[in-house]
Amino acid sequence: MLRRKAAIATFLAAASVAAGTVVAVLGDATVASAATATFTPVADTYVDNSVTTTNYGTSAQLGVDNSPVKRMFLRFTVSGVTGTVTGAKLRVHTDDVSGAESPSGGTYKAMSNTTWSETGVTWADQPAIDGATLGSVGSVVRNAWYEVDVTSYVKGNGTFSIGVTSSSSDGADFDSRESGSTAPQLVITTGTTSTPTPTPTPTSGDPVLVGAGDIANSGSGDTATAALLDGIPGTVFTAGDDAYDNGSTADFNNYYAPTWGRHKARTRPVAGNHEYNTSGASGYFGYFGSSAGEPGKGYYSYNLGNWHIVALNSNCSSIGGCNAGSAQEQWLRSDLAANTRPCTLAIWHHPRFTSGSNHAPTTSVGPLVQALYDNNAEVIVTGHNHQYERFAPMNPSGQLDNTRGIRHFVVGTGGAGMYNFGTIQPNSEVRNNNTFGVLKFTLHSNSYTWQFVPQSGKTFTDGGTNSCH
Amino acid sequence: MSDVMNDPSGSSETGPSSVPGDTGGGSGVSGSGGGLSLRARVSIAFAAAVLLAVVGVVYILRAPTGSPAIAEPNAADAGTISAGGPRLRMLDNGMVAAVSLGDPRGPRIVTSQRCDRAYAAAGTVACLRPASALGATRLAVLDDDMRERRSIRLTGFPNRLRVSDSGRMIAWTLFVSGDSYAGGEFSTRAGILDTRTGRMASSVEEFAAVVDGRPYRAADVNVWGVTFTRDDNRFYATMATAGHRYLVEGDFAARTLKTVADGVECPSLSPDGTRVAFKAAIDGDPAQGWRLSVLDLAGKKVVATAESRSVDDQAIWLDDRTVAYGLQRSDGVNDVWAVPADGSGGPRLLVPGANSPSVEDPGF
Repeated sequence: MLRRKAAIATFLAAASVAAGTVVAVLGDATVASAATATFTPVADTYVDNSVTTTNYGTSAQLGVDNSPVKRMFLRFTVSGVTGTVTGAKLRVHTDDVSGAESPSGGTYKAMSNTTWSETGVTWADQPAIDGATLGSVGSVVRNAWYEVDVTSYVKGNGTFSIGVTSSSSDGADFDSRESGSTAPQLVITTGTTSTPTPTPTPTSGDPVLVGAGDIANSGSGDTATAALLDGIPGTVFTAGDDAYDNGSTADFNNYYAPTWGRHKARTRPVAGNHEYNTSGASGYFGYFGSSAGEPGKGYYSYNLGNWHIVALNSNCSSIGGCNAGSAQEQWLRSDLAANTRPCTLAIWHHPRFTSGSNHAPTTSVGPLVQALYDNNAEVIVTGHNHQYERFAPMNPSGQLDNTRGIRHFVVGTGGAGMYNFGTIQPNSEVRNNNTFGVLKFTLHSNSYTWQFVPQSGKTFTDGGTNSCH
Repeated sequence: MSDVMNDPSGSSETGPSSVPGDTGGGSGVSGSGGGLSLRARVSIAFAAAVLLAVVGVVYILRAPTGSPAIAEPNAADAGTISAGGPRLRMLDNGMVAAVSLGDPRGPRIVTSQRCDRAYAAAGTVACLRPASALGATRLAVLDDDMRERRSIRLTGFPNRLRVSDSGRMIAWTLFVSGDSYAGGEFSTRAGILDTRTGRMASSVEEFAAVVDGRPYRAADVNVWGVTFTRDDNRFYATMATAGHRYLVEGDFAARTLKTVADGVECPSLSPDGTRVAFKAAIDGDPAQGWRLSVLDLAGKKVVATAESRSVDDQAIWLDDRTVAYGLQRSDGVNDVWAVPADGSGGPRLLVPGANSPSVEDPGF
């Protein structure tokens, strides 16, 4: 009873404070997370000093090289952007042809000339690349996206020219605006405050497992969470819906690869429903390869220190069900029976318990929860609802169980636009839906610490420690 | 007589306030109240409410973070919930609840009825029951004593819900695909039930539409956010098609829709029938959020309210000068706010820890 009373007092105090101040509300979060605009060039071309009077304005290709010398020019018109521009990134995609790769993706500079003619520019008649250096791209491979931060140059509506040169005699080839979906992009983010990424704090030698679900789309949330991963060593997990909208190979290459993809070598993923928008989640299995376990199954396990980590596939209807006796449930029980590590953590996409308004709790994963509970597992991590939620340790029926209960997390905060909460469910301890971020577990020998790490500029966090059973 | 809030055996399990994580009363409603007279049951309900209210207030006064002193209500204050004055029905973390409109932050009665969206008028309480994972929803029609009079199976996820001022007509909006208005592709289905005749239009989208004076048919028509006029036949709603989000005037009997204005979502007709409160997409782009605004139907003049936060709700009118709406905090707790309809003043917190408001027996 005391706990309940305290909760009432705290709750009403918060409500009273809210009366006199403007509080953070979902509306704000929605605006912030959605305030991204993507522009394609209004003009792009390149020039070549070996053919000094040729114009390449209608070519589907752009080149930078130092032998022969090739320079490329991009022009964007930014319009309709309201609010403060907090970020601007130029995205360019290398051709999917042999030879497109290069040790240098070029040096990107602002230009004062914003009126050059796409179909008139030649080596002999080219605008000056006379502005500040915006950034450089290192070695590039074929058929991949690369990003340059141009925030210092693109600060609002207007016309912007960017010139690119290379000092490498092995040139790089990019797709031009004529190429369609792989045309260059200028992605403008407004409304959120950008502050430097915090430097990672050194930790003990215990293994770290860090990640989130619902990650990469055309917005900038995944850029923010990938920047967090840059400062956190350890194994990266995904909790599904890794690449929107369809988990296709193109979605992984276009959205996931430029952000979370740079941590691919240390990533152990799971598949969400969006991956299964592509038949058999073939884009997902193709992108992650052996890191995703056996193709077509999507469930596998591995060990980190004293911990057994189980990745499961909650797209039950796509893999023959999650029922007791199903292939996955049978595999899980035998996997857990064979496990000798004292602590266990499981990850999949669809939450068994959630207060989110968009997706109701998924009861079909109940037999997986039961198998984990029967084997004294500690933690279940999911996504699907785009928000953060932590539950107290519960039995498979959702009742508080401080002896053997499993602590459930929903961490759909990887970058996709936030969702509302609905009815707050029993044993829900912490919730937030205005902060992208990653959930970091430090896996001690017989306990664990969790920490929600917020995107740069945000303050929401959560943390705690529990013993293994 | 509409004074009995709920069965006392149910009310005894529920507190006057919302507690995050606490789902409130369970399944203890016995339904009959045993052999007690109506008056005795009412008295027990009052007593329980007053007792719980006092307990709650004691802890408010002990709250550590500088909350304003709130006067301890006397028995008469608590009794006003059920003493016939206008009351605000709402959801308290998914449970149908009520407070006195004269003291909306005072004692609260929470029933054991669970809904995702609720709306009450003149003794009719409409409730959209939580959807299953597969999207099966029920519309429950309850009477003033929270007894279920009718239940209709629907498909989709609960969104908007409205009862006409007379209590006769009920309209609902469900998402049938997609998750929200803001998330890109979605489709909705709006339906209307005449509780007197039992006649139901399960999809208002099928009504004959007239756009800018011309008959109109398109596969992409979505209708949401119905609000009824006083005659229980005509209504207003949003009809979205081809990039427009029209305010339409509908006729239930004639099964027609005709456009009135553009850029109007989730209209709510004022008690005097002259204006609609609605959510106006910022810069015409719903992804940027919505500004709660008011359209004068005669002059077509739009006034933005002083609420600067994005409001994704179908507002209600507390009277001819004031609109109210739900806003969610970042931890998922909802509050009902109110703001003048004429653009003056500023938003004020009306009921903490509540959403899906409606004014029952408003007297206007």
